Amino acid sequence: MVLPVSRVGVAACGQTVLSPSWRSAQHIELIYDAVRLTLVGTPFTIADVDFVIDCGSDVLDGRSISNCGFLGAMGAHHKEESRVEDDGLFGVFYAWQKILSGHSDVGLVIAYSKPSESDVDMFWATQTEPFFQRPVGLDNVVASALQAQQYLERTGTSHEAFASVAAHDWANAASNPRVDVERAPTEAEIAASAETAPPLTEATISRYVDGAAATLLVSERIARKLRLDPVWILGMGSAMDEHMLGAREPGVLAGCVNAGDSAFRIAQRDRAEVDLVEVSAPSAAGELMALEALGLAADGEGASLFADSGVVVNPSGGALPADPLVATGLIRFDEAALQLFGTAGGVQVDDPRVALVHGSSGVGMQNTCVALLGVD
Amino acid sequence: MPHEVAIIGAGQTHHARRRVDVDQVGLAREAVQRALDDANMTIADIDSVIVATGPVLFAAVNQPEKWLVDAIGAHGKPVMRITSGGGTGFAGAVGAFYQVASGVAEKVLVVAYDKLSEGALQYSISTLYDPFWGRDFAVGIMGFSAAYWRARMDVLGHSEEAAALVSVKNRRNAILNPYAHMKKEVTVEDVLNSKPLAWPIKFLDVPPISDGAAAAIFARGDLAGKVGAPPAFVRGIAYVAEAENGPERRLLQSEPLQLAARQAYRMAGIVNPRREFDVVELQEPYSYFELSYYEGLGLCAPGGAAELVGSGATQMDGDIPVNPSGGCMGANPIGAVGLVRLIEAAWQVTGRAGDHQIDGARSALVQSGGGWANLRGAAVLSA
Repeated sequence: MVLPVSRVGVAACGQTVLSPSWRSAQHIELIYDAVRLTLVGTPFTIADVDFVIDCGSDVLDGRSISNCGFLGAMGAHHKEESRVEDDGLFGVFYAWQKILSGHSDVGLVIAYSKPSESDVDMFWATQTEPFFQRPVGLDNVVASALQAQQYLERTGTSHEAFASVAAHDWANAASNPRVDVERAPTEAEIAASAETAPPLTEATISRYVDGAAATLLVSERIARKLRLDPVWILGMGSAMDEHMLGAREPGVLAGCVNAGDSAFRIAQRDRAEVDLVEVSAPSAAGELMALEALGLAADGEGASLFADSGVVVNPSGGALPADPLVATGLIRFDEAALQLFGTAGGVQVDDPRVALVHGSSGVGMQNTCVALLGVD
Repeated sequence: MPHEVAIIGAGQTHHARRRVDVDQVGLAREAVQRALDDANMTIADIDSVIVATGPVLFAAVNQPEKWLVDAIGAHGKPVMRITSGGGTGFAGAVGAFYQVASGVAEKVLVVAYDKLSEGALQYSISTLYDPFWGRDFAVGIMGFSAAYWRARMDVLGHSEEAAALVSVKNRRNAILNPYAHMKKEVTVEDVLNSKPLAWPIKFLDVPPISDGAAAAIFARGDLAGKVGAPPAFVRGIAYVAEAENGPERRLLQSEPLQLAARQAYRMAGIVNPRREFDVVELQEPYSYFELSYYEGLGLCAPGGAAELVGSGATQMDGDIPVNPSGGCMGANPIGAVGLVRLIEAAWQVTGRAGDHQIDGARSALVQSGGGWANLRGAAVLSA
């Protein structure tokens, strides 16, 4: 792989508060707020932005080519714009390549969703292959539970680990000013929450929230010219697993392994250098599987990362307390960038240098995108 | 310096009104296999895949790339879906261009398709409009498009006959294209006398609705000629959005098309498009849009399109042939069309277009677009 010498930096990021229901704001207002909060305080105006990549879902929005309804709010008028209809981290993946190519200098990535107004069950059910998977009622909760069961069986992990992971994430989210949490449930409450699809319970699967996020990426040339001190994208990778759940390796995220390997190879960094990880998963089991697939813990040892391990997992709270569906990966990216800027507020980690970001999508986390971020 | 990018393999299905023998992913797989065969490759040679389809409401499968991955054996690779309404196939190619230009991937497969026989097309498009202020008035995309034409008739005096000439030309050209499925010659009178759908749009001003897929392999420039089919280099490419709602737009000229063309020409060093291009492939969702694009692309002066088509210059034997493949009038699998236009242009500049080859073509212009007439792209290809 021959990459141009220059790098891509994160100049700024912004997001709305993630809330179970943004009743007072339409999509367009959430998106506009994320963009405005990203640009404010930077030397950039929307006129300086060369291109916009956005991630949303026609099915969630109930609207064909729904990006067309939000182009003004996104600041995309008379700019190159593309919709990646997947998790927000894939939008970063596209924008990173566009700037690395040398053809563009400044790009805005936007992701949003408003599940409080959406038919989320349909969003998942219509993703399944329509002849064999869809008729049996497979959706993301069922797929996540099947994977969780396989994971427990294969690794010998106790299902109590799921409640412990969720309690950790909820406690962090309660300290995060960007997540709307009235009161974090305790580990005992999580363990006692109603069974949704065994072994998963209501509190070990992710809570859907409304929100929008944006991030402003710049070429190294522009960063130097404006004397910015950006967070650098050290490497990225992505890979998709097979669709048919039965064809996948039980309890393993094979695509995630490839995606992580690609990102570390491009970054020429070592897993031991990672100070914090922001991981997206639709369930506590998925979170453990992702951490292991990313190579941060040995197979079956994911839960050990939540004890004093040298890697801080989901300081923002991750996706379990706040999952804005297709925006989740970009929220993870922005939270990791804030940590490296040192502006993460109540959840700031002490002087991190390298952060790993994980985004996933599809039924049973079929698709994965990974970014490695660092500061000079 | 960006890497150069070339198309080194391409394939398309024999498009049809309705394919009942394959499902969506089977249809897409046909095009992928043809593109891989054209490049003498297997899926193992591909670094990354971009899937481009029309709006998912067209076909009732959400994020269909997640299903398609099994049908084309692409699991374990990066797979990303880009969607942009009617310009989707082109927008997918733009994504592939940057994956290669950045050096992140050497060979990227783009697959674009739509199986429009399986969905409620105009109903799905109607959901595009604002749910509070636009949807009550919307009847698909046709009424909206008719306003663009009417504006040109009123202000420029462009007649219904001028647009009919486009339909007659493209339908005649499609007869020579083995992948087209509408192969019937019509006269200007036939077009003018065909049933009005949303005046001035009449039945024969409108392309068919098709099931079809296209696939192309984009590779780093230094690999071109060493692997794959004869390369068609992408010298410039751009895709630009217009945010404004219909009533606030300039209807006479497509501003995003003018911007996209300017950007693509700057990348490619094109200064006189009429003289420098040997052939043009463009996506005409209605006959008269082709006229508007002549102007937006600088093939004639603003307002000069009716005269240009009347002169015969855009016929197969003219000095600037447009849509020798027949364009959308021959086949219109919407999500695939932008990529089909690029593929046809790539075949033209490498002398592989078959019966509708323009002799000695070396440089081609491609246009595509989607959304509600607000997303517009242009690309420059040469051997």
